[in-house]
Amino acid sequence: MITAKGLYKRYRNTVAVDQLSFDVRPGVVTGFLGPNGSGKSTTMRLMLGLDHGGGETRFDGERFTDIRRPMNKVGTLLEAKPFHPTRSARNHLRMLASANGVGDARIDEVMELVGLASVKRKKPKGYSLGMAQRLGLAQALLGDPGILLLDEPTNGLDPHGIHWMRDMLKHLAAEGRTIFVSSHLLSEMQLMADELVVIGRGTMIFNGDVDQFVREFTQSTVIVRSPAADGFAPALEGAGAEVAKGKDGELVVSGMEIGAVGHLAFTEGVELSELSTRSASLEEAFMSATGASEEFIAAEPTVPAVQTGGAPNA
Amino acid sequence: MLDALRYEWTRLTTLRSTYWLVGIGLLAAALIPVILGFAAGDEELVPEIIAVAVNGGASFGIPFLAVFMAVIGIFATGHEYRHGTIQPTLTALPQRSRLILAKILVVSAATVAVTVVSMAVNTGVLMVFFGEVPGLFDDPVRSALLGYVVYTLIYMLVGLGLGLLFRGVPSALVVIFLMPLIIENVIVGLSVLPALDWLVPVVKFLPFTAGSLLMTVGSADMGMGLDYGFFDRWGSGAVFAVFAAAIIAAAWTLFKKRDA
Repeated sequence: MITAKGLYKRYRNTVAVDQLSFDVRPGVVTGFLGPNGSGKSTTMRLMLGLDHGGGETRFDGERFTDIRRPMNKVGTLLEAKPFHPTRSARNHLRMLASANGVGDARIDEVMELVGLASVKRKKPKGYSLGMAQRLGLAQALLGDPGILLLDEPTNGLDPHGIHWMRDMLKHLAAEGRTIFVSSHLLSEMQLMADELVVIGRGTMIFNGDVDQFVREFTQSTVIVRSPAADGFAPALEGAGAEVAKGKDGELVVSGMEIGAVGHLAFTEGVELSELSTRSASLEEAFMSATGASEEFIAAEPTVPAVQTGGAPNA
Repeated sequence: MLDALRYEWTRLTTLRSTYWLVGIGLLAAALIPVILGFAAGDEELVPEIIAVAVNGGASFGIPFLAVFMAVIGIFATGHEYRHGTIQPTLTALPQRSRLILAKILVVSAATVAVTVVSMAVNTGVLMVFFGEVPGLFDDPVRSALLGYVVYTLIYMLVGLGLGLLFRGVPSALVVIFLMPLIIENVIVGLSVLPALDWLVPVVKFLPFTAGSLLMTVGSADMGMGLDYGFFDRWGSGAVFAVFAAAIIAAAWTLFKKRDA
């Protein structure tokens, strides 16, 4: 169990993390979401005492800096390639293991677990980003900890690697461990996370389960396909629904439950070929929830001007 | 604390640079008695020559081993920032003071051991060329060689402190080379000018200059004919040690306050 209370960090005139408080429960994967620059990494560094700031984080009741042999309790993966380029991957883990009473057998075990057994004596400077992430996960798992804090662990992984990471984290959570993982891959998070902590500009936007987040920040719509769609739309609007036309001619109805739409179609004598609900994705909910708290906003791409003269296809 | 010491020992011994820096340092220091043996193999060994040969030229102004051990000291802290390993280090060992203390203890022990090995190798070379090394364990050679061990140790600690202070390798390397080789030499040189004679009383407080007096066998007028009023061997060593302690104290305090 992780309990964070009043986390606060200021850089000169910018408040990076503003009084964040949340709990991360064991047995589930908790996703940590926020736009770029929202303070996710800073929050994780504050939690581990790497950065100095306000507030307090307790890992099963203890502050990180008070834990003797912390890797046995809290495993972390923060940066993509925090390795000395000429120290072998196995020696990197040996070095960290020696500070936590972890034996050599466990080092080989985690290297095997993350699929790096065959390159464990190689130097990490030759590793791809995906391999470095696997080594980072091996480092986090070294002490067989009950709590894992992972910052963008799927960065640089190929689709197989992402799938493997997802299964691994769900498996670890199912063992009763506390998993707190940040990611910007929302589709991945939708498949992986059970609960969410969502922040924007360092402040809390949402803390709860994924379904509740999607429900809270988006609207479900009802899809209606009918040969008489054009005639049915005014009836729906008359009953208080908002109706938009989809690109295939279907009606996209919001503000009315599916049952009410079906009942109205029955009473109006409208033939339906499809009546279904479309739930919003985590991505849509995320965009809706954090739209106002984006730190860095890029310009919308513009359509290139039509070329005149010359030979554009030459 | 034992965990921290184990960590630092593993860190030091799993770095390739540790071995080549120690190796080059030993080799460079051993070249001095070799050159001496070829150049003056048929002459009688006097205490000044014995000291210079055994300390690998350090008391002659070319402290090879001390410089290489200082680079190892810089790497002990500077590498952590240069390669970003400070984060995994502090998540494996979050008690910052314990970490720094372990680095100081382990690298200091390694420095003393390597320096003693270097002196043994250099003495062996002298034995090969001269057949004997008279007065090795008698004063003034004994005190000068003990002073050499202390000098190398303090030199390394300055490097370790600078690496931690600057949170990187390049700046620390610049200071460790620039200060003794250029800045202090310029100050000593300028002190000879009558218009700048107010620098004379400053010279005995120049840390690397004072530190070199730890290895002195005879007088310490630096050949300039001026009376700098140097402290004795251990007093001068204390000046050097206070300099190292000040750098380490500043770096240690900042390390505890700064974000990793």
